Amino acid sequence: MRSLPEFRLHRPEALSGALELLDALADCRPIAGGTDLLLFLRDGTIRARHLIDVTGIEEMRGISLEGGEIRIGAATPLSEVASSELVAEIVPALTEAVFQIGSVQTRNQGTIGGNICNASPAADSAPPLLVLDARLDVSSKAGGRTIPVGELFAGPKLNSLEESELVTAIRIPEPPEGSGASFLKLGRRRGSTLSVVNAAAYVELDGGRCSAARLALGAIAATPIRVAPAEGLLVWKKPTKAVVEGAASACRECVSPVDDIRGSAVYRRDMSAVLMRRAIKGALRRAGVA
Amino acid sequence: MISFELNGRSVSLEAASNRTLLDLLRVDLGVTSVKRGCEQGECGACTVLLDGRPVNSCMVLAERVNWRRVTTIEGLEEEPIMTVLREAFMEDGAVQCGFCTPGMLISSYALLVEKPRPSGEEVKAAIEGNVCRCTGYVKIVEAVLDAAERIAPE
Repeated sequence: MRSLPEFRLHRPEALSGALELLDALADCRPIAGGTDLLLFLRDGTIRARHLIDVTGIEEMRGISLEGGEIRIGAATPLSEVASSELVAEIVPALTEAVFQIGSVQTRNQGTIGGNICNASPAADSAPPLLVLDARLDVSSKAGGRTIPVGELFAGPKLNSLEESELVTAIRIPEPPEGSGASFLKLGRRRGSTLSVVNAAAYVELDGGRCSAARLALGAIAATPIRVAPAEGLLVWKKPTKAVVEGAASACRECVSPVDDIRGSAVYRRDMSAVLMRRAIKGALRRAGVA
Repeated sequence: MISFELNGRSVSLEAASNRTLLDLLRVDLGVTSVKRGCEQGECGACTVLLDGRPVNSCMVLAERVNWRRVTTIEGLEEEPIMTVLREAFMEDGAVQCGFCTPGMLISSYALLVEKPRPSGEEVKAAIEGNVCRCTGYVKIVEAVLDAAERIAPE
């Protein structure tokens, strides 16, 4: 294994200090857990002369319920999200996903913000955050903005942030009564593996019909994606077996998977439909459909 | 200069920004129970406890352990849970080549501290990040369950 190239690690304790450094320094990257970034620095796919460690910034850590939203600091370790009772009670689909990222060691070190900002098409936290309508607080020295999580993903391992910007927190609206969401992952084994396909579904029920549906898939395109055509087949329908099957099957036409070491494109396309059918059923069960 | 607690003793030394905790421990401090395996955060042979939680030391930059607590199996020698785990690993044949053993013991120790009587599935989940290339997983899982039973019989 190649050793790490030379860089300087900066460890600001205040957000303002981190934003100042990101603005002032050239060839600079934020680092949170580093469980992905150190790999990319070692193999040379990412070069940086300065790393800004954001894990010491208090306001970027911790999980709280504020004004009908769950706020998760971007530098919160994955293990803390996985074991959070608040997250498990309000958005269990996110608990399911985060618990399946990497291994115990990786979850103790890696962060939820890192998992999405690295923009891996297979990031397990992405599909549930997409269907839960999560928004991201983005800060830079010039100011702040809030974006839907889907806007973060620009391409494989490519996010849409400016170099001077930092995701500081993830905000998830508390889902209404009569809603449910679930997440499923298919890997080559159960533990410590990248997804071949992952899927999340969210439904809201009103008088026995789906009043809202959001579906997302990962590892089947250049970025994690929402599958709008499939969502359209659920909305204002009774979620019968045929309706669910129809929406799940529609996923086949919405994905553009690649062949790689973990699975073939053909297999991924088929599994998109299978996983989505199970995810929709899981979401319906949580929403109260027997 | 970084200062941290290693196995209960305070340690201060110089470390470059690109030094990993693995190199700091093995090369600079001679703690060779921490094994250099994949250096990709996949195999768990370099697992140590950082503030009591298992992490892969190959994926931790040394400067980040400043003022924190690092524990390797040397620091747990006298710990009752580790003593029993070690005996169970030896008696139940959970060691073949031994390369993965320090990491396996650290992950198993962290599990039993949190959960004194885990199920077989919970043991497997706790060591999911520790690879044994002799593939002696069955006996490792049995040894952890055995140790749990010896420590908390009911």
